[in-house]
Amino acid sequence: MTAPVLEVEDLRVDLRTPRGTAHVVNGLSYTVGAGETVAVVGESGSGKSVSVLALLGLLPARTATVTGRALLDGEDLLTMSPERLRQVRGPGVGMVFQDPMTSLNPVLTVGRQLTEGLRAHGSLSKAAARARAVELLGEVGLPDPGRAVDRYPHELSGGMRQRVVIAIALSNSPSLLIADEATTALDVTVQAQILDLVEGLQTEHGTGVVWITHDLGVVAGIADRVLVMYGGRCVEDGTVDDVLERPVHPYTRGLLGALPDLATDDEADLATIPGTPPPPTDLPAGCVFWPRCPVRGDARCETEQPPLAVVAAGTGGLPHRAATWCAEGEAS
Amino acid sequence: MSVLVFSLIHLVRGDPIRLALGTRFSQETYDALRERSGLDLPLVQQYVTWAGRAVTGDLGVSFRSGDTVTSLIAERLPATLTLAVAALLVALVIALPLGMLSALHPRSFVDRLATVVSQFGISVPDFWLSIMLILVFAGTLGVLPSGGYVALTEDPLGWLQRLVLPAVATGVVSGSVITRFVRSSMLEALGSDHVRTAQAKGVPTRQVLTWHVLRNALLPLVTVTGVQLAYLLSGVVVVEIVFSWPGLGQLAYQAVRDRDFPVLQGAVLLFALVFLVINLLVDLLYSRIDPRIARR
Repeated sequence: MTAPVLEVEDLRVDLRTPRGTAHVVNGLSYTVGAGETVAVVGESGSGKSVSVLALLGLLPARTATVTGRALLDGEDLLTMSPERLRQVRGPGVGMVFQDPMTSLNPVLTVGRQLTEGLRAHGSLSKAAARARAVELLGEVGLPDPGRAVDRYPHELSGGMRQRVVIAIALSNSPSLLIADEATTALDVTVQAQILDLVEGLQTEHGTGVVWITHDLGVVAGIADRVLVMYGGRCVEDGTVDDVLERPVHPYTRGLLGALPDLATDDEADLATIPGTPPPPTDLPAGCVFWPRCPVRGDARCETEQPPLAVVAAGTGGLPHRAATWCAEGEAS
Repeated sequence: MSVLVFSLIHLVRGDPIRLALGTRFSQETYDALRERSGLDLPLVQQYVTWAGRAVTGDLGVSFRSGDTVTSLIAERLPATLTLAVAALLVALVIALPLGMLSALHPRSFVDRLATVVSQFGISVPDFWLSIMLILVFAGTLGVLPSGGYVALTEDPLGWLQRLVLPAVATGVVSGSVITRFVRSSMLEALGSDHVRTAQAKGVPTRQVLTWHVLRNALLPLVTVTGVQLAYLLSGVVVVEIVFSWPGLGQLAYQAVRDRDFPVLQGAVLLFALVFLVINLLVDLLYSRIDPRIARR
């Protein structure tokens, strides 16, 4: 692995809510190398989205407190000036959001929304920016980009809109691309096309990718490494093979167990993890997963937070880590 | 619409002929006049006659003065238009900055102040505000005239001086309503996903605010501004009376007092027409600013 594009260290996000302070992200650390794809998985409310919005300062400043470090090519995103952060948004980090139906401005043409980003970070003339916009729309596979550039978002389908959003995110050739549930709202065939598209662009430009999803099928298809989040913490990380094939944390095992299997026994009920994630305003003192955990194999589970520790050497020279007291039994 | 106008007016108690003739008159005179005005005919027939003439622009003749209703309305229209446009300007000058500031800094001092001020503006009756303004600016301070109207062409300064107080009195009320809308539609636009996309592109804040927030907040604003303009063109009866402003509101009020049915019918019909036309204009404007409507 080359020098990391992104190094997140002990990221913590607290949000002030009417019901008290919500500890949404609690000490998250990870790195993303150039050309590498890191998938962040977890249930809704596990802090995935908030953790990346915090990196770009996109959380409401009035209610959010962000601490820790997030180095992008060696520069800390969390302490830089608002103007510097604006310059980094785009050329440093491109972002694709979940819902393509709402993430484009309905009253501006697709071209206008592309050129706006291009011209905010360079001295392109109007005509040059437009030409580049057409080129970008072609790159993301929009048919007839010369005409699409003058279209409004409502004239395009969901999949086409998401391609536009990706074109916007990639328009300034960022060193890091963050995709927040970028394919969740799309149907499966379109999803596959988008995944291919991002992989292609990634190999071409050497972009590092953070792919947030709760779809483990997507993870297996696109990621090099996986980070499993629960209750605002990383509970397990490692290479895709390690985490998906030999999961250690009871939560990860639960997640994988909850995948419907088309090959076997379609009469059986879908396995689920009972209960719901703990409210971020009231996290348990011990292991965050303890209240729902079927194992509870250690006396410390309820009272003491397990550290993220190496559980196996892991494949590809990367350690396989998990935050659990119950790793002794080793992966089955 | 015109049926409603017509029937409502004829439900009003009081006999216009009796009022027009004064206290001493003979039964013959009364009958003669009643026949001449067509008031002795059945209501349905009265309506058909009136409506038939109205579509050709003939709204009848005033019982009181004998002038045609159209000429009476045409005479009053400039004053009402002047006041409505001036009041709308006052309203927008208050509402746009105040609403935007409070949306950009929710729960701040400015926001709370704007809430209090607009609550005041919405709850206070316009006649009370008019009287207070007259007491302070025409009475105590003596800097502005308490009422009346001169044409712009005759005396530009006098025109402006007489316009200020009624325009403020009506503008404050409309402005308060619009402030609320500016705030809520700006807040909604600010929280939308596409604004976050724009920020994530690294577009400068000013540009985000104008092209992504304001541009989208404009849609509901155009609607409410249209409604307010229609209200200003037709609903400022009391303020026109307080400031002796010779507009349509005053005309309508006098017509009610005198049971001058043709004039009242003409005025109310015009008010209804104003609402229709402004709503049509708003819809047309909508298709100009929202591409989702334009192409359909």
